[in-house]
Amino acid sequence: MKNLSRRAFLASSIKASLFATYALNAEAVAQSIRWSNWSGGQTCQPSGRYDVGSEDELAALLKNSGGPIRPIGSGHSFSPLIPTDGHLVIIDQLNGVLEYDSNTLQATLGAGSRLGDLGAQLEAIGQGMLNLPDIDRQTVAGATATGTHGTGVTLQNLSSYITWLRLLTPKGEVMDIDASDGDLFDAARVNLGALGVVTQIRMQNRETYKLKKREWTAPTEDILANFDELAATHRHFEIFPLVYSDYSLVLSIDESHEAIGQTVIVPEEVAEIGSVRQSATNAPPAERRRMLNGVFADSGITEAVDVSYKLLSNVRNGRFNEMEYSVPAEVGAECVREILKTIYDQAIDVSFPLEYRYVSGDDTWLSMAYGAEPHAAISIHRAAREDYRPYFDIIEPIFWKYGGRPHWGKVHSLTNKKLAQLYPRFNDFMGIRESLDPEGRMLNAHLRSLFNA
Amino acid sequence: MNTRAKAINLVLTVILFSACSNLGDNRAGLGANLSLLAFSNNPIDELIMGKWARSCALCHVTGVAGAPIVGATADWQTRLAQGEESLLKRVIEGYNSMPPLGYCMACEENDFRAMIGYMAGTNQ
Repeated sequence: MKNLSRRAFLASSIKASLFATYALNAEAVAQSIRWSNWSGGQTCQPSGRYDVGSEDELAALLKNSGGPIRPIGSGHSFSPLIPTDGHLVIIDQLNGVLEYDSNTLQATLGAGSRLGDLGAQLEAIGQGMLNLPDIDRQTVAGATATGTHGTGVTLQNLSSYITWLRLLTPKGEVMDIDASDGDLFDAARVNLGALGVVTQIRMQNRETYKLKKREWTAPTEDILANFDELAATHRHFEIFPLVYSDYSLVLSIDESHEAIGQTVIVPEEVAEIGSVRQSATNAPPAERRRMLNGVFADSGITEAVDVSYKLLSNVRNGRFNEMEYSVPAEVGAECVREILKTIYDQAIDVSFPLEYRYVSGDDTWLSMAYGAEPHAAISIHRAAREDYRPYFDIIEPIFWKYGGRPHWGKVHSLTNKKLAQLYPRFNDFMGIRESLDPEGRMLNAHLRSLFNA
Repeated sequence: MNTRAKAINLVLTVILFSACSNLGDNRAGLGANLSLLAFSNNPIDELIMGKWARSCALCHVTGVAGAPIVGATADWQTRLAQGEESLLKRVIEGYNSMPPLGYCMACEENDFRAMIGYMAGTNQ
């Protein structure tokens, strides 16, 4: 492993040798501003926020403070994983590529690194992450703790590519965990921030690579009928079924050696389509479908070629709340059909498309794709300014009907008993959690409901 | 590369999810390069600068998501005309694309005031 920014880490570690006084100083930074997540749907008034500059500072805080603690990344979880009246621990100073190995193509990352910042840093050392989620603002710790995934029937969630991680337990003890730790490794890679605070993560990457993205619209039924074949043909393949229409936006991404470039957007097109969509919003469902089909049927293909991380993730301008469940791939199409029909039949006032894609199975215990077979991940969204509950409350039972497992960072209403039925190793995870945190310092009300603690 | 004029699907992506492509978003090594910004003579505490680099800079360096760019004084004057308290409220509660706290989970009100002044070029 080569050191990149060890000096900065060491400097902050030395600074943190004031163990006993740090906790006292940290108390002084308790704040009055309410915390909110990205969408504004989750808020809390923590007793203190601790902006830790090193592992030693964090260890001192854990050893010397009492009461509940919740570690926070970018605040992108829509579910109440974070809200606490205890301490919030902010880890975004623990960032960057700390070490890397050009032979194994692995890199050790500060757990507070934002995915969007890592792409260029990894490219500089000849590496690229194997896959990325849609949004690039999350920290590595937050994304992996919640089992966040990208798209691809042969590609697993981010947590599956962890080869080693460092966990500071609620008592401030350092645990370095890898595959040789067996069950602990399988539990810790998707941990919901319930086992302690992860400070470093080593990821299996690959050599830097370019991708070509293609987007077009097509009849949803045509795509669903051939989804398995299309998903197997492309490295990444997904659709965004457009509600109140018979069409989907289709997205495929494959490796490419073409020159970097992209299709040019014509501003007039944006205005024209936006205008039709706006007009259709207030129309009765049948009329709305006719209007939207007319727009969506007339599609070309847009393309872009670039380095992988620039195409796999996006910056989302519009803030929203989201519910996402995974269902077995063989029932995925039926599930998405039922959701689209329900929206239409009940005239639910929503314009966000659904999102439908496959993710490879994996062996991290709390992964929504845990197991040998691929899963279909289906998302619904609602603008952040709108009350998402009526819409999500109608759709969530459809996910349950198809055996859906919730994404931990997204809205869901499941609690312990049902979760233990959906996740084969859920009770084993609870056992490990109990052993690492018998006092429940890492829990909030939401996590207590999940773990029956 | 296909440059078809009626690029309806890319338009759809933009409209439906308000997505911004990362194409051209060059934030590589941002923290290390902050001294290159034009505002090196605009006073801001080093600690606050670190917080700014890990949060506000995500959008306010490139202008992604419609964020006013650091140092674009005309854009900032328009906003400052609404009053600093109004800007502060938007930062804390979120506004349009900007999430509550602007990704700075560790910031106090005074941090945000200093950051606004830094980006607007009004710090003394």
